[in-house]
Amino acid sequence: MVGGTVDHGLSYSQRLLPLVLPHRGERGALIPVLQKVQEEFGYLPREVIPEIARILCLSESEIYGVATFYAQFRFERQGEHTVKCCQGTACYVQGGRRILDAIRKELDLPEGKTTTDDYKFSLERVACFGSCALAPVMVIDKTVYGRMTPARAREILSQF
Amino acid sequence: MSFAEIQKKATADWETLQKNDKPRILIGTATCGRAAGALAVLDTINNELERLGIEAVITQVGCIGLCYAEPLVDIIKPGRPRISYAGVTPEIVPQLLEDYLINDNPRPDLALGTIGEDIVDGIPKLFELPVLKPQVRVALRNCGHIDPADINQYIANDGYTGFIKALKMTREEIIAEISKSGLRGRGGAGASTGFKWERLLEAPGDEKYIICNADEGDPGAFMDRSLLEGDPHAVLEGILIGCYATGANYAYIYCRAEYPLAIERLKTALAQMRENNLLGENILGSGFNLEIEIKEGAGAFVCGEETALIASIEGKRGMPRSRPPFPAVSGVWGKPTNVNNVETWANVSAILQKDAGWYSRYGTEKSRGTKTFALAGKVARTGLIEVPLGIRLGDIIYEIGGGIVNDKKFKAVLTGGPSGGCLPASLIDLSVDYESLDQAGSIVGSGGMIVGDEDTCMVDLARFFISFTQAESCGKCLPCREGGEEMLSVLERITNGEGQEGDIEYLEWLANLMKSGSLCALGQTSPNPVLTTIRYFREEYEEHIKKGYCRAGVCSGLVRSPCQNACPAGIDVPRYIRAIGRGNYGEALAIIREKVPFPSVLGYVCLHFCEAKCRRGQLEQSIAIKELKRFAADNDDGQWKKNVKKAPPTGKRVAVIGSGPAGLTAAYYMSRLGHEATVFEALPVAGGMMRVGIPAYRLPPEVLDKEIKEIENAGVTIKTNNPVESLDELFGQGYDSVFVSVGAHRGVVMGIERENTPGVLDGVDFLRAVNLGEKVEVGDRVMVVGGGNVALDAARTALRLGAGEVTIVYRRTRKEMPASEEEIDEALEEGVKIEYLTTPTGVTGSDNGLKVRLIRMELGKVDESGRPRPVPMEGSEFTTECDLMIKALGQESVVPDKYGLETERGGRISADKYTLATSREGVYAGGDVVSGPASVIEAIAAGRQAAVSMDIYLGGEGNIEEVLTLHEGELPPLNPDEIEADKYRPELRMLPVEERLKGFAQVVLGFDEKCAGEETGRCLRCDLEER
Repeated sequence: MVGGTVDHGLSYSQRLLPLVLPHRGERGALIPVLQKVQEEFGYLPREVIPEIARILCLSESEIYGVATFYAQFRFERQGEHTVKCCQGTACYVQGGRRILDAIRKELDLPEGKTTTDDYKFSLERVACFGSCALAPVMVIDKTVYGRMTPARAREILSQF
Repeated sequence: MSFAEIQKKATADWETLQKNDKPRILIGTATCGRAAGALAVLDTINNELERLGIEAVITQVGCIGLCYAEPLVDIIKPGRPRISYAGVTPEIVPQLLEDYLINDNPRPDLALGTIGEDIVDGIPKLFELPVLKPQVRVALRNCGHIDPADINQYIANDGYTGFIKALKMTREEIIAEISKSGLRGRGGAGASTGFKWERLLEAPGDEKYIICNADEGDPGAFMDRSLLEGDPHAVLEGILIGCYATGANYAYIYCRAEYPLAIERLKTALAQMRENNLLGENILGSGFNLEIEIKEGAGAFVCGEETALIASIEGKRGMPRSRPPFPAVSGVWGKPTNVNNVETWANVSAILQKDAGWYSRYGTEKSRGTKTFALAGKVARTGLIEVPLGIRLGDIIYEIGGGIVNDKKFKAVLTGGPSGGCLPASLIDLSVDYESLDQAGSIVGSGGMIVGDEDTCMVDLARFFISFTQAESCGKCLPCREGGEEMLSVLERITNGEGQEGDIEYLEWLANLMKSGSLCALGQTSPNPVLTTIRYFREEYEEHIKKGYCRAGVCSGLVRSPCQNACPAGIDVPRYIRAIGRGNYGEALAIIREKVPFPSVLGYVCLHFCEAKCRRGQLEQSIAIKELKRFAADNDDGQWKKNVKKAPPTGKRVAVIGSGPAGLTAAYYMSRLGHEATVFEALPVAGGMMRVGIPAYRLPPEVLDKEIKEIENAGVTIKTNNPVESLDELFGQGYDSVFVSVGAHRGVVMGIERENTPGVLDGVDFLRAVNLGEKVEVGDRVMVVGGGNVALDAARTALRLGAGEVTIVYRRTRKEMPASEEEIDEALEEGVKIEYLTTPTGVTGSDNGLKVRLIRMELGKVDESGRPRPVPMEGSEFTTECDLMIKALGQESVVPDKYGLETERGGRISADKYTLATSREGVYAGGDVVSGPASVIEAIAAGRQAAVSMDIYLGGEGNIEEVLTLHEGELPPLNPDEIEADKYRPELRMLPVEERLKGFAQVVLGFDEKCAGEETGRCLRCDLEER
């Protein structure tokens, strides 16, 4: 699922076309298309933007405008596992900051660095998952972990 | 199949399911359940059932809202009511299933409650529990009861009957019904739903759109997520009705991408609608066509705003645009559009299923119906609730929420997310509805409710909210883009200790600019958290700015360690604990003396605010800081004296009135600064409350004498038997400045009949007489009225003076007693009796002593003080007799009018909070006479401040900081892996109870050397943590 680490034997273009072509001519298709592209590659490789522009008849700047507006889209290769640490109000009030600090320390990701050198983990701060009653919350890929403590965070990460 | 047939089959299937001869198990596997580990529990259940050879019907349901009790598993055994089990882990499952399903033991110890008519012995009814009783679940009616992935279960429970009813009504009739119900948008703006639908209906053209706003971006809100995961059809039926009523044939559900389970449930539900001819062309033969498309958000909070949401659906950047034109005129693709929130749609289907009259019975006149709230933060029972609007705020926090965890004090609740504001504890009686919250400065918003306690810093919270909204600002308009950034930078400065005078006013100015100038609700409402925290917690802002002090102990730029931060005198706790750990007791004492001149007294009697904030307390138990201080004081080697400095004489003379801790501390520091300090004391002995208020078995007189001697050695003159009648007298005698610290020594009146009857004494008078060596007759039966430390001191003293029976009478319960836990424990050990929930109403003299009339109380609702209000129980009066009645209900101050100082209630002197200056030049005041009865350490801190202020007044620099011992040098923080878990405080040596009552010998004997050393090992060294 993650781009770069799995060799599909296909070029970017070949992987891209089946995702974008069906939406040609559709109204408001850009965001769903970008979401599908990111799902396939794990991020938005800059190489694919001109091609998307061509197929959907949009300018590249319009695509960049949308892609940079929404927090979901990334332009860099991500780690195999995405660790999202919730910093929403409820989690914050329950000590979410310490969980984030513990994760940063455990993965050696100081402020500003998102992906570990071995591309195993990417860390994101997220504003709210909506599991506030189980604060503080951490999500790795699709699994939600509630009632976190720094020790539990370290333990869970070490299992990957 | 016609709908009637579908309904008939669905209902039959549902009945069969209820009557099943197989056990049924329901398990909540929405996101909350999963986050608590429900999937692992489900696996274990499946394995165990196989192992036990039992066939059961398992249904995965949504969230019933009791998130604090997740994972929740409900078991319905044939012939028995449904039982809800809380906190079910994979470890518990095997025994639970075997006990109940095989041995028919329903395990009341693991059960939360039963659902349904029948009772099970030992298990309460779930919906009678305080957490559920006040709730009325309308939008959430099916959540936790049905399988959200099975449309037939929805249909069997009145599902889609609202739409069937709507098909028989005209469009105008449907909209009128919605208007009649009073339903207001539940997404936050609270606009009349009927009104919005009318606008869409009357719009020209036949291409119209309906949008369901499922973006739910407020941090702290998860109501919509739970609804979509637990009962998507309730929302979809509402959309169907709305589209039919307004003539829209296409609907979008804009759901944030961070809710994958909700999206999955929606997709399944839509497919099932289509299969049942409830979606697509010619729905149920009505001729009405509808298509619903799901659009996923891409991570932008601002897309919760309707015009930004519309832009996002159109594939553009989510930037709002001005209204008018409103979406009802020109919305998505330029066509008439109406946007409503998920919860609004779920209410629509309920209203049509029942009727508007039923719905509008709930709520208040302008805020009808029910509202969901996501209750999170520092309450015991976090979860998803739904209550009638108009419910009392205190009921949500204390009845439903179960109060604050760890017995901390409730501070404020944040409502409405980043667009909302805070409601302080003083508003505990507030009605929760749109109007009341608006007036209070907050909003109902989408329903997030986050509870903060004494450890929550309101300034930091304001900063947090602004940093969120500033990051989410789309950037289109200047007031929001620049204003938000500027507000954030000011708040960051303040929380870092770089606040400046005028910052608060500047923030208010920026806030008003953003409110009036921003294009959309994000910019307009983002200043709200700042404005409301300033409105209700201005003091905290001022403390951060003027004193660099964060009282909650949160702002890391201002707080080195929570213990030192909590100490009014700022004693460097971790450092002296480390010194004790190294065996350098004299060094430890010197570190303490750098801040206070009464280390021994504090070690014996301090109220230890530090321990309440100690982080170790979050693991097992806080460090016994007070006992360690005492240990250091008892083992001092006097090395601190070597480094004490005394400034050359300044020629100035200062007078201090009152030789309590505030006065003596002030005099001490002034003397060291070179001023000639004289203390005037009215009583024959010095020490104030330390001398005449605290019994000798708590603070031995020799200990106090020793420390007072050091103060005299520093050059202070103490004149006892020397009351001061007027300040002019002192100025006349050549004193340049005066500090008034006369304390609070007069007992407050009880307010009952004939309380002046002989035989009724005031607690402080009683204790003073005993400590001054006067003879006091206690008789045999003593009654003490009150629940503070004075009451406890009086009771235990009475026992030691020979009373046979001592009873404390207190109007609340132990939990609310202000006295310290140790005091209450020791008193009970010594044989003091305590009658809770009782208070006297009158007293008369009799031949046999005193006759006291008392009345029983019961606890009512929690009031602003954070404690339940005691309410007299009608007809519960009774009479009892005693020889002596001691009242200890608080103290007031007595300040001679001739001082010419402005005073407040209770005789307190008005003094500036930061400088302690009074209304008269050159005169300062501090300690209990300003604050009311407080503590020794707070009085000492006031004494320090007085010395600073007065020195500045006299032309000095006001610098009383000193270094009495070498600093440690750089040290690394504690390695988290080195922390030994489950280590509690070691044993404290105490005088055996039999020995205690023989006299006034010291009761607490303190740690021995080994225990003291062990205790220092538990310290987490918070001051060394990286920032």
